[in-house]
Amino acid sequence: MQPLLRVDKLVKHYAAGRSAGSRDKLVALDGVSLSIAPQSTLALIGESGSGKSTLALCIACLEHPTSGSIWFEGIDVAALHENQQRKFRPRIQLVFQDPARSLNPRWTALEIASEPLIVRQDTSKQERENKALELLDCVAIPRRLASQRAHELSGGQKQRLAIARALALEPKLIILDEALSALDCSVQAQISNLLLELQSSFGLTYLFITHDFAMAAHLADQIAVMDRGRIVESGPAENVLRSPSHQVTRSLLAATLPITETPGVGLEL
Amino acid sequence: MKQRRKLMIWLVILAALHGIIAAAGFFAPYDPVEQDRERPYLPPMHIHIVDAHGHFHLRPFFYPLRLREGSFDQYEEDTTTIVPLRFFERGAAYRLLGFVPSRLHFFGAAGARVYLLGSDAYGRDELSRILHGGQISLLAGLLGAGVTLFLGALIGMAAGYYGGWRDELLMRIAELFLALPWLYLLFALRAFLPLAVSPLEAFLLVVVVIGMVGWARPARLVRGVVLSVKEHDFVRAARGFGASDFYLLRRHILPETASVLLTQAAILVPQFVLAEMTLSFLGLGVPEPMSSWGNLLATLQQYNVLVSYWWMYLPAFAIVPFFLGYLSLASALQERAGAYKIEEKGNWNPS
Amino acid sequence: MRYLLRRSLHAVFLLLGVSLLTFLFSALAPGNYFDEMRLNPQISPETVAALRAQYQLDRPLPVRYAHWLNAVAHGQMGFSFAYNSPVAPLLWARARNTLLLTVTATLLAWLLALPLGVWSAARFGRAPDRVISWTTATLLVIPDLVLALGLLIIAVRTGWFPTGGLTSVGFEEMSPLHKLRDLAWHMTLPVIALVLATLPTLVRHVRASVAEVLEAPFLRAALGHGLPHTKLLYGYALRAAANPLISLFGFSVGTLLSGSLLVEVIMSWPGLGPFLLEAILARDLYVVIGGVLLSMIFLVAGNLFADVLLYWADPRIRTAVSAK
Repeated sequence: MQPLLRVDKLVKHYAAGRSAGSRDKLVALDGVSLSIAPQSTLALIGESGSGKSTLALCIACLEHPTSGSIWFEGIDVAALHENQQRKFRPRIQLVFQDPARSLNPRWTALEIASEPLIVRQDTSKQERENKALELLDCVAIPRRLASQRAHELSGGQKQRLAIARALALEPKLIILDEALSALDCSVQAQISNLLLELQSSFGLTYLFITHDFAMAAHLADQIAVMDRGRIVESGPAENVLRSPSHQVTRSLLAATLPITETPGVGLEL
Repeated sequence: MKQRRKLMIWLVILAALHGIIAAAGFFAPYDPVEQDRERPYLPPMHIHIVDAHGHFHLRPFFYPLRLREGSFDQYEEDTTTIVPLRFFERGAAYRLLGFVPSRLHFFGAAGARVYLLGSDAYGRDELSRILHGGQISLLAGLLGAGVTLFLGALIGMAAGYYGGWRDELLMRIAELFLALPWLYLLFALRAFLPLAVSPLEAFLLVVVVIGMVGWARPARLVRGVVLSVKEHDFVRAARGFGASDFYLLRRHILPETASVLLTQAAILVPQFVLAEMTLSFLGLGVPEPMSSWGNLLATLQQYNVLVSYWWMYLPAFAIVPFFLGYLSLASALQERAGAYKIEEKGNWNPS
Repeated sequence: MRYLLRRSLHAVFLLLGVSLLTFLFSALAPGNYFDEMRLNPQISPETVAALRAQYQLDRPLPVRYAHWLNAVAHGQMGFSFAYNSPVAPLLWARARNTLLLTVTATLLAWLLALPLGVWSAARFGRAPDRVISWTTATLLVIPDLVLALGLLIIAVRTGWFPTGGLTSVGFEEMSPLHKLRDLAWHMTLPVIALVLATLPTLVRHVRASVAEVLEAPFLRAALGHGLPHTKLLYGYALRAAANPLISLFGFSVGTLLSGSLLVEVIMSWPGLGPFLLEAILARDLYVVIGGVLLSMIFLVAGNLFADVLLYWADPRIRTAVSAK
């Protein structure tokens, strides 16, 4: 079955010097390749600075890679022109880590949920409002909160709102960039369950970026580990967790979960 | 909050001051161009409630002035005639706010002209001229500030949002504009345009010239705001569902610049009113018979006026309450925005 | 050194840009000096044409600009139509008068602002500080125009000061001491006007910078060491607060030529201001451009001066620059 998303040797450099045209560059992505099957979840794990967010931005067509290709539903979106890319963006949505920054604090929940539809410009105000209310229902935000301003909502509610907004344009792929990391444990559990429900209801594919192996274990079918701009290990979730082959994976695992390493048997949680 | 209250107080004061000037036709007793050649350079008249015989009058009144015996320019009160002051009096026709015709004046007198602030060389009432002149000066300042802020916001947003070489270029030009000796260039700009134009054209010219001069600083400030807001995730998210640049600028970025623009407005308006006054004072602004605070002061350049007719200086005070109001408003706005900055002086050096 | 070179280059670019702008403005303007002449029936059109050719007004713009640049490089600034003489000496004579005024006023203003600001900062929030803050606020609210005119009226009504001019009649015959006194007497009013105009902002800046520095821990440590108060304030606090003040000083230097225009016009001081105004009204092209350029040179020099001072005074800037 053709993967929904296939990233092929993606490279991204940032100019690091102060003046334009400076020689120093920051290598954020150094030849990243991965693929995600439709309606599955790939967890991308790595420490901060490993390039995960840059990868997310590139896949979502919000940054231009320096080289490499991003095949989405068979089309190389990285090679597209800005105007054409804009048409693709609704199909790949991003949910950010800190909802306080990813939602305009002065807007109401209803406005935020319906914003994607405004951009589409082909719906009436009433239609947009109805759709927005439906979305709020999907993410279990009570309708009475629809007219509250974003800064008045709790952390969990804000993140649900961000998810609702991401769903508005019926995307195929949702990238969650550390979307649960800023929340309390109990809220994390609620929302990860919500995500699973939404995945089966809407047939979504997730790219779940995190530094937390426990989260990944709960949600992911496949796991890829990233370090300094490269994928160092990938495979089915079970395998990676049980018998990590790369040093980086091992140290990350050791840091997040209580494990014992039994030589010959591998790691056990 | 105390800051909000301060802000409100100054807003109300400024609104009241502007209201008085806007309703100049009502508050002024006479038409500003109405001459009375028999009574040039009359000093301000006193309002009394007790007359020369010690009687108390309920209604305030004044004595008309007459020339002292054997003198050409010394006046004394003619205590034989009592002219009472009347309120809500019918007088010269005018148009309130430019289109509502009316003849109602706040006060006036029957039988003689009351010159509360004296008269000028043609016997025109200074008070009326000051009030009407304020309309010109204030309007020039407000419109000029509008032009500047519009230009500044546009350029600042373009530079901040698009970045790259456009940003570099625009900011270099802005630096150039910030570095120029503004007073000189303002005059040069104004004077090198045709000198003899109709009053309306002159006014518009003044507004445009003033407006084009000061855009650099607001542009820099707006650019700063745009640079920081641009990186916010909610802007990224909006781009993520296919929003156009225009949408992002209009719905997310522009509202964030509002506070900067408002503060700049409060600082710029008085500076621009002063610029108009300076231009008109030097003969490069609004011409006679239109009055503006500037050209009312221009008569002081004549030595005899300077020596003998001190009340011709009074228009200078008209701007002071406005300066106070605007600068205090700007200070309150800045405090509210969290950054306490030193107010810039209202002299014409917008640096 | 490289830093200074860069800043100087930057300055030159700025000057070129401004001269171009000014030249463009004035040359593009409708009307020129000879329009008045043309209206005069006594002067034949041929004479006007000849004069125009003589002053090269009929050549295309870029040519005129190039000629002018060339002249400037040789220290000349073109020719004045109204005075029928080279521009440069005219400008220098007037600029000298302006500088006499502004240098005095600037020095005075700074000499007053520093102690007032420091004293105010040292007594932050208490009575003396409040009085000073109130006074500066009041002065700030009164525009220069109003201030200068007001002073003039006082002069006229009291007769204490002359109402204009550089010197009195019979200046030539006075003894040097008398000359000095006469000059000072004429200068007093304009200098007061200029000082009153610039003092409030200066005091506020000094006060703000020093107040900020007084909060710093290193100062409390110094206090703990038992340093005398004045030495603390001036030797340490002022030094630390110097950066923004140095920039401000550079700005003061920069506006030496341009900041006094209004005061000069009002007080009839024969400086650069009234001269330029006259030239503008008469459309004396090269005088205007020369005058603007001269002020610009001062402005740019002032900034450069501030940059140099900062570089010299603040070791942090030196290391940051050499690290590049």
